[in-house]
Amino acid sequence: MTDIPVAAAETAAVTTAKPSARRIAPFVPLPLTAARAVTLIGVVATIAATFMSWTYTTDFPGDLTVTGYPGGLQVLTLVSGILTGLFALGAFGLKGLRWLAPNHSHNAVLLLALGTFATTWYTVIAIAQELGGLANLDPGGFVAAVGTLVLLIGALALPIHRHPQEDPNAEYFELGRLSTVPVAVAGYKWLRELRPHHTDLPVPDPTRLPGWVQRLIITLAAAVGLEVLTYGLATGYTEIFLGFLIVVVFAIWALSASGLLRQFSGLTAAHRSFANTMGFLAALAYPFAQNDEHYANLGVNILIFGTVALGLNIVVGLTGLLDLGYVAFLGVGAYAAALVSGSPFSIWSGVQFPFWAAALTGMAASLVFGVLIGAPTLRLRGDYLAIVTLGFGEIFRIVVNSLDGVSGPKVTNGPNGISQIPDLSIFGYNLGDSHDVGSVTLGRFANYYLLMLLITVIVVLIFTRAADSRIGRSWVAIREDETAATAMGINGFRVKLIAFALGASLAGLAGTVSAHVTYNVVPSPYQFAGAAPPNSAFLLAAVVLGGMGTVSGPILGAALLYLIPEKLGFLQRYELFAFGLALVLIMRFRPEGIIPNRRRQLEFHEDETLVPGKRPLGDDTVPVSSAGA
Amino acid sequence: MTTITKEQPTPAQAPDGGPLLQASGVIMRFGGLTAVRDVDLTVNSGEIVGLIGPNGAGKTTFFNCLTGLYVPTEGTVSYRGEILPPKPHLVTQAGVARTFQNIRLFSNMTVLENVLVGRHTRTREGLLSALIRGPRYHKAEARSRERAMEILEFIGLADKADHLSRNLPYGEQRKLEIARALASEPGLLLLDEPTAGMNPQETRATEELVFAIRDQGIAVLVIEHDMRFIFNLCDRVAVLVQGEKLVEGTSDIVQQDERVIAAYLGEPFEGAPADEGDAAVEQAEAGFGAEAEAEAGAGTRAEAGADAGIAADDAGEEQENDR
Amino acid sequence: MHTLPQQLANGLFIGSMYGLIAIGYTMVYGIVQLINFAHGEIYMTGAFGALAVWTNLPDGTSIWLALPLMLLGGAIVSVLIAIAAERFAYRPLRGAPRLAPLITAIGLSLALQQAIFLWYPGADNAKSFPQLPGGPYHVGSISIQSGDIFLVCAAVVCMIGLAAFVRTSRTGRAMQATAQDPDTAQLMGIDTNRIIVIAFAIGGFFAAVAGLASGLKYGQVKYDIGFQAGLKAFTAAVLGGIGNIYGAMLGGLVLGIAESCASAYVSNIPGMQQLGGGSWANVWAFVLLIVVLLVRPQGLLGERVADRA
Repeated sequence: MTDIPVAAAETAAVTTAKPSARRIAPFVPLPLTAARAVTLIGVVATIAATFMSWTYTTDFPGDLTVTGYPGGLQVLTLVSGILTGLFALGAFGLKGLRWLAPNHSHNAVLLLALGTFATTWYTVIAIAQELGGLANLDPGGFVAAVGTLVLLIGALALPIHRHPQEDPNAEYFELGRLSTVPVAVAGYKWLRELRPHHTDLPVPDPTRLPGWVQRLIITLAAAVGLEVLTYGLATGYTEIFLGFLIVVVFAIWALSASGLLRQFSGLTAAHRSFANTMGFLAALAYPFAQNDEHYANLGVNILIFGTVALGLNIVVGLTGLLDLGYVAFLGVGAYAAALVSGSPFSIWSGVQFPFWAAALTGMAASLVFGVLIGAPTLRLRGDYLAIVTLGFGEIFRIVVNSLDGVSGPKVTNGPNGISQIPDLSIFGYNLGDSHDVGSVTLGRFANYYLLMLLITVIVVLIFTRAADSRIGRSWVAIREDETAATAMGINGFRVKLIAFALGASLAGLAGTVSAHVTYNVVPSPYQFAGAAPPNSAFLLAAVVLGGMGTVSGPILGAALLYLIPEKLGFLQRYELFAFGLALVLIMRFRPEGIIPNRRRQLEFHEDETLVPGKRPLGDDTVPVSSAGA
Repeated sequence: MTTITKEQPTPAQAPDGGPLLQASGVIMRFGGLTAVRDVDLTVNSGEIVGLIGPNGAGKTTFFNCLTGLYVPTEGTVSYRGEILPPKPHLVTQAGVARTFQNIRLFSNMTVLENVLVGRHTRTREGLLSALIRGPRYHKAEARSRERAMEILEFIGLADKADHLSRNLPYGEQRKLEIARALASEPGLLLLDEPTAGMNPQETRATEELVFAIRDQGIAVLVIEHDMRFIFNLCDRVAVLVQGEKLVEGTSDIVQQDERVIAAYLGEPFEGAPADEGDAAVEQAEAGFGAEAEAEAGAGTRAEAGADAGIAADDAGEEQENDR
Repeated sequence: MHTLPQQLANGLFIGSMYGLIAIGYTMVYGIVQLINFAHGEIYMTGAFGALAVWTNLPDGTSIWLALPLMLLGGAIVSVLIAIAAERFAYRPLRGAPRLAPLITAIGLSLALQQAIFLWYPGADNAKSFPQLPGGPYHVGSISIQSGDIFLVCAAVVCMIGLAAFVRTSRTGRAMQATAQDPDTAQLMGIDTNRIIVIAFAIGGFFAAVAGLASGLKYGQVKYDIGFQAGLKAFTAAVLGGIGNIYGAMLGGLVLGIAESCASAYVSNIPGMQQLGGGSWANVWAFVLLIVVLLVRPQGLLGERVADRA
């Protein structure tokens, strides 16, 4: 089989180190056979432990008291353990499972072992801590703890692909003053050599498989993705959500480390439209896959938030304009839609626009404000835009709060906002009512979810088409070097204004739907930073964290930032603090975000170069299927 | 936003030999400092004009005045008889393109994308067209790509079209800047130190490139420190010292002008400019072509050596000041 | 109470505070082109630092004795945070694209604000701050609080000190050079890193002074005073000419006066009755910013920013 050229990966950089310089070395010195044996023993022990009871009381959520039947967090350990076992056997060369280790590396096994270890020990410690002491643990819990530890040790003893040896003459300027202290340099060098490294290992080209097999794989992946996401959204309590997060993070990391992710990227690249369709179908299937309205509500909010983030991505990610008051455009759209919705609290309560007209109104209103704000400011130095938009964000809330007839003319009904917004009715289908489709009941939120899904698809289409065109190139050129861009004939002001206005109108569009979903529109959520999304800081973080300039990045970022505070309730108080800290750390250590735009990653990591293989396909090669649902 | 691809009338239609660029009485003052003093310069179509002078003489500032990056305190700049508006993008639209002294590529875009951006001003598809993607859009995009690849082939970078521009070696980055400027289909190309930091082979190649550009009908105005390059290439040379144009004329006139020699070139035949650059140049010349070997007389060898030494001196000085 | 002289005086007082905070923004922006969003929180933590000193002094200590100690306490906190921010958050991002340090600054601002909220005892509500005895004093029709007197005196002293420092001291001149052309300054042997740290430190100190003054004036401090004040102060810096320290103070005064006059008088304009009043003051400040950007974007006294073209 031919190899996929390495650079088709959606992740990073290839070092130009020769293969002979690459090292394979275990972290724990054991002979290979012993290492494998220990690993497999660990797997078996872990799996067995999940069938035991880990505690004798049901005070710990999820019912871990039953022997013979894994419940709650035990299921997570079980799944992770099975995955570890499968990948281990694949890496060891077992026929039939070798496809799990296309790059012939054991790194994935180590990562999965880590994940299993982490989630299990988290569970055990959580039990002990919440119930007040180790005595609350049943033997099963100890078996699990020991078993996963054994598994981890075994995995650490496997031959792991590591970073090549450091150049003995290398100087580490990043250490600053310490770079002249021999001990510090030695320690740092040791740490650098400790790292596993698997990004440049070649993998077989999956497009050699028969076409129907490739499409089947894509479909299965979409289905699995949907299941995992649904499970995650439906987690009922904090502990299991944390365990879920741990398992998912390590599993995805392992998929990447094994080269499977790169192969999958190759597949989706070869079958672009099919993959996108599958992704869309998966997202479509979401409200049918689970019946609870609460989760449909989650879905709608994630879509709204994600769409808005995608709009901001045009402004910040593509064009490099820092907009700190973006949420105000969402608010403008929402209020505009509310005013024409026929709500009795609207000053135009006699008017009730059909949806398409309301959407256009929302977009137009936001567009107008976008132009009003942008026109004076975009001619000036870029940093001024940040302050002006920040100011606008604040002013919007104040103004809307005050237009209640007392401190200002009566337009928006002040702090009480415009409520009792009637549900939309599109072609006779009233979104407020439940409808039965086959055996499934689509509730109100499910209806809005489907509507919002359609809008998200439109926005994604707009984004990709705009980005990969003459205007998109001019945006990126402005971001890269405005002086050079204008010297190439680009009218900087005009191009920036278009980006800004487009971003604003997309936010307005999302705002229109959001007004109907939440029945009412009030001033309070439209702040720079606050406890609940949407607010401008969250939106900015979603774009930055998810990956600037990519399609799925902001949607993923929005999903994460919405879910994590929602699910980890105990963090509520510390949420904003953690959030601010996270921004600082991300910009310091992984500024390209989760889904790296191939370009941005190079921008930030100057010491690595990318050897091109296939023609680049656009800003990211992760298909829409991993977004949204 | 229309979808019409508008093409600049090809430079071959421009009046032959007539004045293309006319800068008259250009003065540029920054507060108390006068960087450019009353400079007149004309570039006729089909010409290659050189602009030389010591560092700090105001050459790049003058360029910036021509291209609208700076608005001249006094004086006018006109192109094809019309006064150029003081906005860089309008200047490019009129037909004047430039490169930069310090390379300003779009580092995170590919080579092809850089050139496509260069073509921005000759196409008209806007946002609406991009969103609708009608047949006109596709035609225009295809045409743009075709044209961009033509330029890349002309320059010699076609096989690296999908490389990220930041990964190109230095010499190729400079070529890419030129390609990008060419994409706007200019009638006049302004090159700011195109061979800075290049080895002698690359410099010769650049010379060939500029000749080829001129043969396409594009006039060239080039700032350079490499004397051999300038005197080989240019029909006329203008010398700028401390913002003032000292002399202008053919290479011979300028080379022999005493003021220029005193201020800038130094004694042409004296001394042994024993620089590293010297040996390299000789080596390059030995491998370069029939011309250099045919003229291997002692006189010309010394002259070549002296020129190279001076050029190396200048280049060294230049690099010192850059960082 | 609503006489013009009173409004002007009020505007002057609040404007001095904006000006003190604006200095920090403008100095940093002039040299490294970074909007230090965290500066507003540096002002806030300075106020809390001063409060912390006060609460730990024995009961019955005279406010006059405590004042220098409080200033010291606030200054230590502010300056340390400012320097740490520069060293650990901003400096590593010097070469990165412009967006990176800006986002870091936003994150830092949030983190600092929340840190005080979470861990300073009782900070989720307003904490009462000691006030200076005496007053209100009357000059003609104007009534002046003792806190206001402190504020104006502090602002004057600080400005004079800063002006002298920048003009006459070697470091001050080095700062001017760095602000104008950092690369050349470096070539001339100026340690630009040190200059940048000093700029942050001075900004932090001024913010601490403003924080102490704010506490004395209003009699309370709250964890969220930083955000609004920061926004206003940066507006003031832009108004006066970014990078220009005199512009920062002037901008602050102009903004303060505009705000207080707007609150008092806009409602008198026919047709705009409902647009006056406290909540609209911020709106008018914003409108003023937009107008200035439209009409004179380089600010009242002109920009002084390093040319990094």
